[in-house]
Amino acid sequence: MVAETGIPVPGQETIAPSRVFGLLRPLQLLGPFVIALLVGAVVLLLSGRDAIGTYWLLAQQSLGGTTQIANTLVATTPVLLTGLATAVAFRSGIFNVGVEGSLYLGAFAAAWAGFTFRGLPGPLLILIAVSLAGVAGALWALIPGVLRARWRVDEVVTTLMLNYVAILLTSWLVNYYFLAPDIANSMSPLIATQARLSSLLPPSQLTIAFVAALLITVLYAYLFTRTTIGYELRMTGLNPRFARAVGINLAGAVIVAFLISGVLGGVAGGFQVLGVNYRFIDHFSPGYGFTGIAVALLGRGHPVGIVLAAIFFGALSSGGAMIQLFSDIPLDLINILQGTVMIFAVIELSRLPFVRRWLRHV
Amino acid sequence: MSDAILGILTAAAPASTSILLAAMGGLINKQGGIVNIGLEPMMLVGAFTAVVVSAQTGNPYLGLLAAMVAGAGLGLVFSWSITRLGANQIVAGLGLNLLVLGFFGYLLPTVFKIEGTLLPAGLVGLPKVHIPFIEQIPGLGPIVSGHDVVTYLSWLSVPLVSVFLYRTPLGIELRATGANEEAARAAGVPTLRLRDFSTVVAGVFAGLAGAQLSLGVVTLFNKQMTGGRGFIALAAFYFGDARPALTALGAVIFGVFEAAGFRLGSSGVPSQLVQMLPYLVVVLSLTLVAVRRDRRVRERGRAAAASLTAAGVR
Repeated sequence: MVAETGIPVPGQETIAPSRVFGLLRPLQLLGPFVIALLVGAVVLLLSGRDAIGTYWLLAQQSLGGTTQIANTLVATTPVLLTGLATAVAFRSGIFNVGVEGSLYLGAFAAAWAGFTFRGLPGPLLILIAVSLAGVAGALWALIPGVLRARWRVDEVVTTLMLNYVAILLTSWLVNYYFLAPDIANSMSPLIATQARLSSLLPPSQLTIAFVAALLITVLYAYLFTRTTIGYELRMTGLNPRFARAVGINLAGAVIVAFLISGVLGGVAGGFQVLGVNYRFIDHFSPGYGFTGIAVALLGRGHPVGIVLAAIFFGALSSGGAMIQLFSDIPLDLINILQGTVMIFAVIELSRLPFVRRWLRHV
Repeated sequence: MSDAILGILTAAAPASTSILLAAMGGLINKQGGIVNIGLEPMMLVGAFTAVVVSAQTGNPYLGLLAAMVAGAGLGLVFSWSITRLGANQIVAGLGLNLLVLGFFGYLLPTVFKIEGTLLPAGLVGLPKVHIPFIEQIPGLGPIVSGHDVVTYLSWLSVPLVSVFLYRTPLGIELRATGANEEAARAAGVPTLRLRDFSTVVAGVFAGLAGAQLSLGVVTLFNKQMTGGRGFIALAAFYFGDARPALTALGAVIFGVFEAAGFRLGSSGVPSQLVQMLPYLVVVLSLTLVAVRRDRRVRERGRAAAASLTAAGVR
């Protein structure tokens, strides 16, 4: 009844999402980091700033003390989850760039639960809010998922487009129906106090959300190494024709991959509401979903790699926010680094002319 | 009411220009086999270059030229990473978005010492072109006349792109490359160079589109000024299935949505819902195309099965 999937969408032959994790050589693993830091240094130097000093300050403000490390881990949490969400899809051969959309829907659902069911005890309310966040994220991801599985609609375009729809949809909901009574613009009411995740390390906002994200990373590793469904997803990603030949339901695998990806994206948004913002804020995400793509790519889909990459981006954003306070260097430097990392994570570095010359000497 | 519609249509022409141009560029790129997610940053670079050069020289047309060159340069680098260095085009495109947005976010406060809007001394915008006679026609006049030169160029680009793709050897080779790169290469078509060429053309179009925003629609630069138009352009050529006339129709419709969004925002219709339309239309139109394709494949399969049964094979 369901059309075969996994076979490339017409016009999409040039895109092989499962291939983007290839090339596990040290050069390819560390190259993007090094090149991004070099590009950042050049930008700093050309604008008359002290590159080494800035990086040193960045390192100090993100890793140089307990509070700083806690803040880094707070910033790590959402991008670790969106990174895992992206990686699940990519490893299954699904080019889901719509985690940002799931994140918005999840955040909105969690906030709605948090300010609606005010009478419930804390743990129960938190459980409901996080579950609703996951469900909302999954349902959102189900739209491109079904379109891909049933009719082979190119998911790159649909997920990209649906991100904007999700951002505008939640913006409409919050501004027209769920505006906080005490504040004029763009924010929902605060969630019930007992729904807030408590800090593990005051005054930072490090909460159980980070621990949960780590546990989910373990589950991710378990899924792909120890379970049948994980094996089927991996096969679907690596070689859909082979997967179909050995009896894997490709349409089912596509749906499952989208659902897991959507749940993780939604939960990422939910935790951001319960642990950091305590309400839904219109356009609140600085692109956590897109950073997730960089995290998944830099971590090469490997759980340890994803955690390290997430911490790297967490450190950049928490350190970057601090140096914006202490110096005149804008937070946008972080976007330069992140963009460069993304580009060079998918470039085959061994094909760069100067690298090729260098490799010949070694 | 008809006044409101007329107002929207009059505003739609300049609002569509940048979307139409970027969509035409993206269309050529798509026909060459590259989905260009980098139209938005290419527009931003064009918008910035146009403002700087126009302010330096006092000549907005030099600004346009420089914007096209800058877009072409960025297109070439982007294409190189995909065609020669094996980068995934979607990820590289998303990365380019972040990189360029971050670059301008960094550049304006640190080098130009401004927080939001760049308005250099001596900046000259594009003059409006008034077409004699047509201008006087009520209704039609303000829709057709009184725009900047880039708007007319964008209209002209639609038939030109169509002729290029379907009537010139280069265009046909380009489409062959996009349709089946290996077969085209086997037939002696320099596919890599053609794909690079198509991305450079996309860069030229996107650069010009950006320049129209910063010298035509307004006369200034800020890093939010493209406002997702590169992605609406992407929506337009997906809506148009990478065919010039349909894509142009999509771009104009989305331009009308945009013009309507501004006007309706004050009349109580949520602007978010109007802004959402281009993205929803694309998802819907892609789905319709896919459903139709799916049904065709199914019917063919059923017909084949029926003929086998009739022939007594099964």
